[in-house]
Amino acid sequence: MRNADHAGPKARHFPLRIALLSTLTVAAITVISAVPAQASQLATEVADTAGGTETNLLLQNLLNGITFGLLLALASVGLSLIYATTGLSNFAHGEQVTFGAAAAFAAVTAGAPILLAAVFAVLAGGASGWLQDTVLWSQLRKRRIAPMQQMIVSIGLALAAVNLLQIWMGAQRVRLSTSIEVRYEFGPVSIGPQTMISMAVCIVALGAVGFFLQRTRLGRATRAVSDNPALASATGISVNRVIRIVWIMSGSLAALGGVLLALYENTSDFSAGARILLLMFAAVTLGGLGHPFGALVGSLVVGIVAEVSTVFLPTPDLKYAIVMGMLILTLLVRPQGLLGRKERVG
Amino acid sequence: MTDPQTIISADHLIAGYLPGVDILNGCSMDVKEGELIGVIGPNGAGKSTFLKALFGLVPVREGKVQLRGEDITNLKADKLVQRGIGFVPQTENVFPTLSIEENLEMGAYQAPKTYKAQRAKMYDLFPVLGKRRNQQAGSLSGGERQMVAMARALMMDPSVLLLDEPSAGLSPDRQDETFVRTRDINRTGVTVIMVEQNARRCLQICDRGYVLDQGTSAYTATGQELLADPKVIELYLGTLGADKDDEDDAGAVVAPDATTEKSE
Ligand SMILES: Nc1ncnc2c1ncn2[C@@H]1O[C@H](COP(=O)(O)OP(=O)(O)O)[C@@H](O)[C@H]1O
Ligand SMILES: [Mg+2]
Repeated sequence: MRNADHAGPKARHFPLRIALLSTLTVAAITVISAVPAQASQLATEVADTAGGTETNLLLQNLLNGITFGLLLALASVGLSLIYATTGLSNFAHGEQVTFGAAAAFAAVTAGAPILLAAVFAVLAGGASGWLQDTVLWSQLRKRRIAPMQQMIVSIGLALAAVNLLQIWMGAQRVRLSTSIEVRYEFGPVSIGPQTMISMAVCIVALGAVGFFLQRTRLGRATRAVSDNPALASATGISVNRVIRIVWIMSGSLAALGGVLLALYENTSDFSAGARILLLMFAAVTLGGLGHPFGALVGSLVVGIVAEVSTVFLPTPDLKYAIVMGMLILTLLVRPQGLLGRKERVG
Repeated sequence: MTDPQTIISADHLIAGYLPGVDILNGCSMDVKEGELIGVIGPNGAGKSTFLKALFGLVPVREGKVQLRGEDITNLKADKLVQRGIGFVPQTENVFPTLSIEENLEMGAYQAPKTYKAQRAKMYDLFPVLGKRRNQQAGSLSGGERQMVAMARALMMDPSVLLLDEPSAGLSPDRQDETFVRTRDINRTGVTVIMVEQNARRCLQICDRGYVLDQGTSAYTATGQELLADPKVIELYLGTLGADKDDEDDAGAVVAPDATTEKSE
């Protein structure tokens, strides 16, 4: 799975990739604004009666895609950090997301306002990350259990956790907020205040992760561990402490993602996280396994492609098939993902 | 063993990677404060394993490693860094996605207060690194990476520096630069144990050499004695070295018997 031989990253190509991505985005937007004569008919049907301008279905879906992409990024950045520092593909990460929604729901049920419930969920998520690493993952690492075996353990953990969550939350759907969402019109698109707040929270949280990784000593040590754990420990970095912190962060961010996802979809249940697990894996792989910003870029692309494709698809059920097709195509052209560094062969 | 001058010693080390397979079979070494030690021997003799055993990266099953008389056998690497041992592995010795400066910062991870001062020292010692401080280490050439790796290991101001084939894969010019720099570092008071594939050049600059074969330290003598030893010439310096003897006498600083290995 993970090739220990991380050599020859092409840092110089980073601006190039960004330029390429922006060009693609601009091209896509040009197409969107030119094409949707046929879609505008549909759009009129969805257009808010209160608004004067028509909703542009493509732009609306693009916005939905960005929103969903940001949520996905928040939920999956921990998955990516854990993979980068330990080599583990954590299949229980979906339950980590659900756990956030469940904890927030428990707090709301107990009478807490949603904001407080979200804070509680983030703290509980961090605590669960700490606990897991302490009693389980660090023990497996100490005994030198290979990442493949650890992955199987995580699948078992996911199965157990989803059942526990079902017992905790019940089998029915739950809602964190019962308020009916109003939507504001902004030219050809509409957006609700809850969604706007979610987007803002995502951007702030992802910005904080980026700041941590680039601008703090501990964050740079985290990148050092993901580059080469053996060298990191030979250099004097306490690798296990770094990984412990990654687990705490990962748990918190997944929990926050779970809360926001529940608000965005206006519903949640015990399998909410499991449903997006494969999308998270797709996003992280697409962006570049182990790359700190791979989860962000991959998630945005996955979110946008999934949502925008529904405009052209006979049935929206096919949108994730489109995502997976795109993932395969991307990997054929760029095996290391969009941002990933090339692995030296031999 | 309790010679006051001894800084680091290994006493009959038995060590290996897999259970039941010993790579070192009773390897001993006794290094005095300030010495520059060269370790030579054929490929697969266990030279790298020996350095890793000193640095707690390979489990030592029997025997003892001591630093200034204190037992440090099987201590974790981060503890050894604290006690003043630095290690530069042969390959993968930089963090490729970190900048040069970030690599150095990681070297001083346990002593953040001294980081800035040490960094300035390293930029004096390796001016190239200062000029390109923001470049990603993964984009550097082999020689430049070697500098980053060495500078990173020196960030904690170690009293003992372990170098694993610092000249491997470098052009003859760069190899020479590496040897000269190692000698300079040693002259500042750092005890250096250097494993080298380039036996001739290594023995020329070191105070004392050890010959390692099949996991045991076969014998030790000063660098000059080993260079003149017929057995060493036959086994480790080889005919290639003999051919180039004239060149050496003429003062050529080129490493003649460099088998430029690219990777392990
Ligand atoms: N990580 C490892 N796992 C198992 N065996 C190893 C490992 N590294 C080296 N060895 C074995 O140990 C022996 C000595 O290797 P090494 O110390 O690298 O030799 P040298 O540095 O002298 O060329 C070799 O037989 C090699 O196959
Ligand atoms: Mg070696």
